[in-house]
Amino acid sequence: MPRLPDAGAIGEGLALSTSRRGFLAWTSRLLALVAGGSAVSALVKPGEADAFHFCGHIYTTDSCPHPTGLPRIDAQGFPLRAADGRPVDDLGRPINAAGQPVDAHGVPLLDPDGLPLPPAPRRRVCQDAVAQRIARTTHIDGAWYRCCAGHVRKLVDCCAHTVRRINGDAALTGYCYAGRRVYCVMYYDTKIPC
Amino acid sequence: MIETINGPHRRMWLCCMTFALGALVGGVATFGTLAVLGSLAGVGGLELVAILGVAAAIADVRGRPIVPQIRHQVPEHWRRVLPLPLATFLYGVLLGLGFTTFVYAVALWALAGIAFALGSPQAGVLVGLAFGVGRALPICVLAPVAHRRAGRTVVDTMVQRPVVLAVVRRLAAACLVVVAASALVGDASGATRIGAGTDPSVSGTTVVWTSPTGGVARDEGTAATRSVPPHAAVGGSLIAWRDGDIVHVAQLVDLTAVLDVTVPGVTAVAVSDTWLVTRTAKSLDARTIADPGTVLHLATAKSATQLGRPALDGDVVVYHVATRRLSTIVSFDLTTATRRTVRTSKTNLLTNPSLLAGELLYDRQTSRAQLVELGPLDDGGRDRVLYRLGAPSVHDAGHEPGDSHRTRNVPPPTAKWRLWTTALSDTQGYVTLLPATGPAGAARLLSLPR
Repeated sequence: MPRLPDAGAIGEGLALSTSRRGFLAWTSRLLALVAGGSAVSALVKPGEADAFHFCGHIYTTDSCPHPTGLPRIDAQGFPLRAADGRPVDDLGRPINAAGQPVDAHGVPLLDPDGLPLPPAPRRRVCQDAVAQRIARTTHIDGAWYRCCAGHVRKLVDCCAHTVRRINGDAALTGYCYAGRRVYCVMYYDTKIPC
Repeated sequence: MIETINGPHRRMWLCCMTFALGALVGGVATFGTLAVLGSLAGVGGLELVAILGVAAAIADVRGRPIVPQIRHQVPEHWRRVLPLPLATFLYGVLLGLGFTTFVYAVALWALAGIAFALGSPQAGVLVGLAFGVGRALPICVLAPVAHRRAGRTVVDTMVQRPVVLAVVRRLAAACLVVVAASALVGDASGATRIGAGTDPSVSGTTVVWTSPTGGVARDEGTAATRSVPPHAAVGGSLIAWRDGDIVHVAQLVDLTAVLDVTVPGVTAVAVSDTWLVTRTAKSLDARTIADPGTVLHLATAKSATQLGRPALDGDVVVYHVATRRLSTIVSFDLTTATRRTVRTSKTNLLTNPSLLAGELLYDRQTSRAQLVELGPLDDGGRDRVLYRLGAPSVHDAGHEPGDSHRTRNVPPPTAKWRLWTTALSDTQGYVTLLPATGPAGAARLLSLPR
């Protein structure tokens, strides 16, 4: 009887053509059934072979480089702090509308002379930062939606003509078009309750 | 102590744990308190750490008598009148405190002095924890096996053979030598805290900065300081400072007045023997010392653009320009009126440059680190890092609670300080550290060997 890790590995290999949850669920359960019955099947739940590190993400592609870690973006693709949705610059500092770094109360941080600290560059995570990182034009081709923490979350693939994803291994097709593949993933939290 | 804990009906494992806990509490109490007192006293100085470490190491290697010695033991009756786990906890506290019972090595006193000299509560707590572990480990390891033949032999060897104590003292001495060497090496290659203050500038070997109590001038070769006006900058043989909207220029040696200029809204100045450069909220201007009425406009700040503090070296002024799209460091040759961008980044924040003999010192902040970099003015590819701090902002865990931890977004350590204004001399770089939280007035100044 094939062992469970082997079944998972095969499932992950098959999933290179499509990374979505339904396919994984179907494949892993089928393999488990072939391997030996419902007892094993019960152990292999959808996505268990994957490494999703934020709600709604169901495959192993890692987050896009983000100034504060979790790849939360606004509607234009600029970085937001995951914890509270505040805009941050490329240093990860919360900023106001003028791009000046602010404290927890939204008051601009000042130097010893009482002048605001300088603004830092702020780039769109996929279209600018990732494009510069991999020296390729990047696109946001498509997205999928999940319910996370009571609100609809839009999960976004950052796509490019690349055979490698940010993890360093083979890139997947995902929701990319025109031959592009997923380099990394991001998300946008809507205000729509679910 | 081993005999006390080892009794077959005395809840040995619980007693071991309470003893170890007590030792840790005692160690942290002693060394943490000393470190806090040291920080309040502002003793500081890695040299003192090295001296204490070496002196104690020599004494322990040579088996010198321990002075002062504490000729007390733990109160024996506690184990009879108190529940044994409580008694062992209190025994642990007493032994962890270090100075309440017999002292076995000079290293204890050296550690106390080192914790005080370092003046770092975090370091004090770590020393205390290490001391507590050292106190608890032999007891907790031997107590469970003390009733066996091998355990009995070890215990007998410990208490009856002086060579065991000699070996322990030599091991402690070796550790102290390592501490002393680390202190000396760290002092030779690392940053030195000069004191509270901000906005340094250098002329020759004279460094000037603004402290909370006023301007300070210090020669690099000595620790002696003298008072100068606040918000001052030096260059060549001159010193310039702003006082409201008036910029004063004087001889650095004796503050003999050279020039007074009114510059409405001035926020920073730079001076050389030939030039005076002033910054306001929206512009950067230069004028010659000989003809201050003629103003040369260097840069104008548009909306959401910040012009940085200027720094002069002869006829060349450098400053940063920060916008939401681009961060640049610009040099402007005042004799030819030519402007060049010498560093630029769409990713990082480049600020607070200073210049000396074609070498540029500046701050580079990224999302994961803050760096003070030094390199040729005309060749950004050869910059090297003089000083490094952690990230300028707090990162999240890189994953959401309850989701997989498998991500490359490992958060970097967050710095308690932000890099700010710099200055450069032949041998040292200087940088201001602003507190990441709290008032900017708590800024401090570091010197960095070049």
